[in-house]
Amino acid sequence: MTQTHDHNHDTHTPIQSSSGVNEFEVLELAVRELAIEKGLFSAEDHRRFSEWAESIGPSGGSKLVAKAWVDPEFKTRLLADGTEACKEVGIDWLDPTGVGTPSDYTYFYVLENTPTVHNVIVCTLCSCYPRPVLGMSPDWYRTPHYRRRLVRWPREVLAEFGLHFGPDVEVRVHDSNQKSRFMVMPMRPEGTEGWTEERLAAIVTRDTMIGVAQPKADWTATSSPSAG
Amino acid sequence: MGSTPYQVLLDALDPGARRENGPPELDHAPDPWESSMQATCECLSWRGTLDNLERRHAEDALGETVYHDFPVHTRSAVVTAHELLDRGVLTEEELRARMDAVRARLTLQ
Repeated sequence: MTQTHDHNHDTHTPIQSSSGVNEFEVLELAVRELAIEKGLFSAEDHRRFSEWAESIGPSGGSKLVAKAWVDPEFKTRLLADGTEACKEVGIDWLDPTGVGTPSDYTYFYVLENTPTVHNVIVCTLCSCYPRPVLGMSPDWYRTPHYRRRLVRWPREVLAEFGLHFGPDVEVRVHDSNQKSRFMVMPMRPEGTEGWTEERLAAIVTRDTMIGVAQPKADWTATSSPSAG
Repeated sequence: MGSTPYQVLLDALDPGARRENGPPELDHAPDPWESSMQATCECLSWRGTLDNLERRHAEDALGETVYHDFPVHTRSAVVTAHELLDRGVLTEEELRARMDAVRARLTLQ
């Protein structure tokens, strides 16, 4: 099939190798190539794992929250031992070959929002994120501005996301690290009484589990904001 | 896990790029090779060569000692290579040769 372009390639900047090669990129490639040549794993293994890791979305976290909203006993288990409770929705943090984790051998804590406590997560040191339940982190989560400013001025940063709290609400910032991952359990919004878990899960969006948004009965992240 | 650093790995660190003493790497944005390295770690664990938990313990131990000068985000690459060298899966000579070949390939104009 012939495809035509309607733009001029002459205006593009040619892709050129940078003068400085990152030695750790070189190391990574060398180790991977040698491992494949020695039969430790295959190139297909690596490609499949990369594809899978990059395709994990926040649906696991949404299921956890929705299930906790309708099942108080599950909620108790989830708050007591997040890693173990995840297995009930098919997520095993310790099993990289299943629905597990890209390199995160950690503790997982779920933080419950209440009318007087709002939780929000960050990783000030790098970009630690609960990927088995939320997938890849958003670009802004990894920026120095978010990481640096959230711990110092949480209310101001949350306000930039459109989230405003009065003095009667305590804002708690949870700093992830190499060993600990956090996820926020937002409060169930009004207008969702009698909903199924599946319908509830649809309104538990990624940002509500990071803590920079609150779920709304009339909003899911799968439809365009301007569609309605 | 051996506690003697490998020269081929020490050579990967730019002499001018020492780890900060304050909050580390606030300005570091993850590079694509880091995701690729994670996939390599998972494959090594999945297929039984280097268990993830053992690697994480080794990252903690070696990252704070013999490879202390290395930025934290490079630990998985450096320590995975260290462990494979320790176990005789790789030799320093073949790793150095392959790194030279990869470097030449990436800089080919």
